Formats: sequence, C-alpha cells, structure tokens
Amino acid sequence: MLNCSYKAKIISNKKVSRNFFILKLESPSGFKKPVPGQFINVRVNEGTLPFFRRPFSIYRADPFLEILYAIVGKGTEFLSHKKKGEILSILGPLGKGFSLPAKGIRQIVFIAGGVGLGPFLIYADKLKEIKANKVLLYGARAGDLIPPLEDFRKNGFKVCLSTEDGSKGKKGRVNVLFDNIDKEEKQSALYTCGPKPMMKAVKDFAVHYDLPAQGSFEEIMACGIGTCLGCAVQTVAGYQTVCEDGPVFNLSDIVF
Amino acid sequence: MNLQVKIKDAIFDNPVCVASGTWSYEEKYSDAKKIRKLGAIIPKTFTLNRQQGNPPPRVAETASGMINSIGIENEGADYFISDKLPQLKKLRVPIILSISGKTTDEFILLAEKLNSDGEIKGIEINLSCPNLGHKVLVAQDARLTEETVTAVRKVSRHILIAKLSPNVTDITEIAKSAETAGADAVSLVNTFNALAIDIKTRKSKIGNITGGLSGPAIKPAALYMVYKTRQAIRLPIIAMGGIADSADALEFIIAGANMVAVGTASFLNPEAPLEVLSGIEKYMKENKINNISALTGSLKTQ
Repeated sequence: MLNCSYKAKIISNKKVSRNFFILKLESPSGFKKPVPGQFINVRVNEGTLPFFRRPFSIYRADPFLEILYAIVGKGTEFLSHKKKGEILSILGPLGKGFSLPAKGIRQIVFIAGGVGLGPFLIYADKLKEIKANKVLLYGARAGDLIPPLEDFRKNGFKVCLSTEDGSKGKKGRVNVLFDNIDKEEKQSALYTCGPKPMMKAVKDFAVHYDLPAQGSFEEIMACGIGTCLGCAVQTVAGYQTVCEDGPVFNLSDIVF
Repeated sequence: MNLQVKIKDAIFDNPVCVASGTWSYEEKYSDAKKIRKLGAIIPKTFTLNRQQGNPPPRVAETASGMINSIGIENEGADYFISDKLPQLKKLRVPIILSISGKTTDEFILLAEKLNSDGEIKGIEINLSCPNLGHKVLVAQDARLTEETVTAVRKVSRHILIAKLSPNVTDITEIAKSAETAGADAVSLVNTFNALAIDIKTRKSKIGNITGGLSGPAIKPAALYMVYKTRQAIRLPIIAMGGIADSADALEFIIAGANMVAVGTASFLNPEAPLEVLSGIEKYMKENKINNISALTGSLKTQ
C-alpha cells in the first residue's frame, strides 16, 4: 500500500573493520534515485523481534544500494546475520537529504564520528566532479575502528583522522581536526553526522565562524514516513520529525 | 460474497480500516489505488487548537509491540479541515475523522465545524483525553463519557463512534454510557498504559515517562474487551488492538466486532491492512460464508 516499499536482494553483507559492516543490496526496480542524506527503513527480521524497522543512511547508491552499520543492539545484530541472496523489506529512499553547497563555496568539509560516516560516501560520489577543496574529518574511538576510507580519497577528499586513544591520526575527538577548516575565508560548507555532542561542537564552530552547516540526525523511529510523529527533534520552529522533515537539518535550526 | 458493514445509515464496502495515527496518506508515500480498497480510513486525531506534542523520545519498542506518547501533535482543526481533509478526500475512500477536546465545549466546537461537511462517513470521538477539573480521562469515567457523547450528539449531524480506553476497571460500563448517550458505534481499544526503562540511565525510554502500549502484545487483552463489550451493548463495534494479520482480525470479528482496524502493524508491514482484507475474503470463501454478518459474534461457547 506504500509506494516507497520494496523487496531488496542482498548482494553481500561483509565485515569491513573491527566493528563495521557494509550491506550491499540490489537496487530494487522502481527504487528512486536517492539524494545524499536520505535513508532506508529496513525490516531486519521476520516476525516481531525486533519490533521496529531500523533506519540507515544510504552509504552509496551506485551500482548497489549500500549501508554502513555497526552492531549496536538487537536490530543490527539480526542484520549482521543476513546472508547473500536473502530478501529484505525496505522503505525508501526516505527523508530530506543534504543541500548541495552554494555557489562560491570553495571548501566542502565532511565531519563524521563513528557510524556517522553513514550518509557520506554517496555524497562524495556526487561531489566527484565538483572542483573544490574537499576534506573528510573522521573521528573514531580507536584506530582499528576506522572503516575503509579509500573511496573518499578516490573522490578527491583529503582524509584527516582522529582517535580518542591516539592509536591513529591526531589524539582526541574530531574537534581536534577543526583546524583543517578554512574559517577565515567564510567559503567552507560543513556537513556532519555522528554523536550529538560532536554535532553540537560543529554547530558552535559554524555559528562562531558564520559557516553554513548541515547535520544528519537520528532518533528512535517507528514508521519512517512522517506518520507516527515518533522521531521528534526539537528545532527553533518547534518539534519536527527526523524521518520526514529531516534527517538532514541546518544545524542552526536544531535546539541541542 | 458480501463484506458490507452498516453503521446506522452509513455503508462500508468491507470491515477493514486503518487506525488513527498509523498511516501516511501523502501522495509521495501512499498508493491511492490500494487504499481505496479499504472499508474506511481513520486519520490521526486532531484537536481544536494546534498542539506541539510531547518531548522526545516519543516511541520505544517492546516485546511484540511499542509504547508511544506523541501527545496528539497536530496543527489544529482549521488547518486540518482546510489543508489535510481535501487531500484525504481525493483518495476516494470512506473517511472517519478522529477528534479530541480538552473540554466538552471543545468537542462541541469540533463537531460543529464538521457539520457542513457532507462527505465524511463519521466522527470518532477520542475520549482518551484529560478533562479539566477531573483527575481521570473522560474514557475512564462512565458519567464523563456520557456527558461528552451526549453533548456531541446534540450538535452533530454525523455518525458518532466513541473510542474507548482499555485503562478501566470495566470497559462495558463505559460502552453502555456511550450507547445511552446516543453514540452510533464504539471503537476499542486505545493503547494500554505502559512504561519501559533504560536500566543504563535509569530513565524512562519515553520522554513523557509513561505512554500507551500497542501492537500484537495487547491483542489477547483487547480481544477480551471486545468480547465482553459485545455482550453488553447492541451498537456496532470497531475493534483494534494488535491486529497484524487476517487471523487476528477474524478473532475480533468472531468475538463480536463489526469492523476491524489495523494500526501499529502497518509500521512493520505496510501491506498488513490489505492482507487482512484478502485473508478475510479467503476465509469466508473456504468456509462458505456468504455474508460477513454471519461471522460477527459467532463465537461458540460450548
């Protein structure tokens, strides 16, 4: 009864680092071309355990529909057991994605923490032909928790790393990498996804230097299509839904 | 095969509805052709004035179900009537509108606003609302239920369906009050009071601390209440509470429901409402039942 509901066949579901998996799905026929930042809501198991579908940012859309995930609970645990050839029920592409950088933007900065890398490879693919200084600032807890990042480099991104234990890149949280942002020229556009305190730090930085910044948000979600109003997030305009009004919001609109 | 259901003078092609607050009717998501096959749709409850809703998190998953505390977030009656309702009408499916008020006067004003509408099939009065000056919800008090339904009955030209809460000692007492007050049908059940706690943070998983449980977890309890209510009143019953497939729906019909509504199950399986409908048809064919009315309340007790 929904025209965003599809069955998708699993091409592969592989572990790519100590904690990350990449699930590749055959893009179902009729599935709309996603905008970077949009997501799919996946039924990770038959029956009623877990009860909710799980929302995942679309990590890549071409040639396969990919999501990047880590096992953080029951839902992702179930998902990690899914095998090649199995069929998943998905809803998508859902929500509002990132807005392309405005004309005159000379630096594009992705700022991601942990599984917050999720919406970015599709965006890097999209920005491939755009001539700008492109940077990915990525923070992880430890070096072996960093997913493969070659595809970002192939798309012309300079990759800067931070780890909390200092085992790779600069020691500390991702904000220790903010000095890679061209704050003086006011010609940088920031895009972020990750833990809320990290996104708050990006917001504060962006507000301070008057830079455009968007973030992709997450909340517990039941329907994924704006029906149940379960995934409310507080914005300057009142509550909005992550699933339909977001998941991408201008950081200046979010009340942290 | 006849699946038609009548509530007073309104005729529904089949008994399957989608419950309030559980379906998106927006063009970009919904397949209108398929929705048209349903008996009726019951869109999300709206109130007289805009309500911003409750603080997040508003939903939590539980064993075979979910808890929600949304707080009837909506843009208010005028916006609903001028902007949302015309879109819903384009679907060309019978519409039952769900309303809720903070006071009896609000219910009256809402009912009056809908009097000029000749297309809707009925009004569901969501009685699970606090009543100013009282500690209980309207739906938790037989007298308040009777007062509210009587007041709406007095002003409304539409078919009225009283939506009952399961959070009561005896739901049949409330159902009887609704019947006495002139309701044309009752719908039951709304969600069960519930709580889920995150033991790491020792906080509720719901921003508003408590919420309402829905989904397959509540089905047996809801079924019991429909069965009891069937014995207590003569009005048609629209049953909801954990219906996920046609077997669930048939249980409710056999227990005495005239119509059934699929709610939370749609989040997991968007095809659930139509699967319920086709499953009922298949069951009737296989069991050589020509008229759905022969099934309603056909529970064998010996």
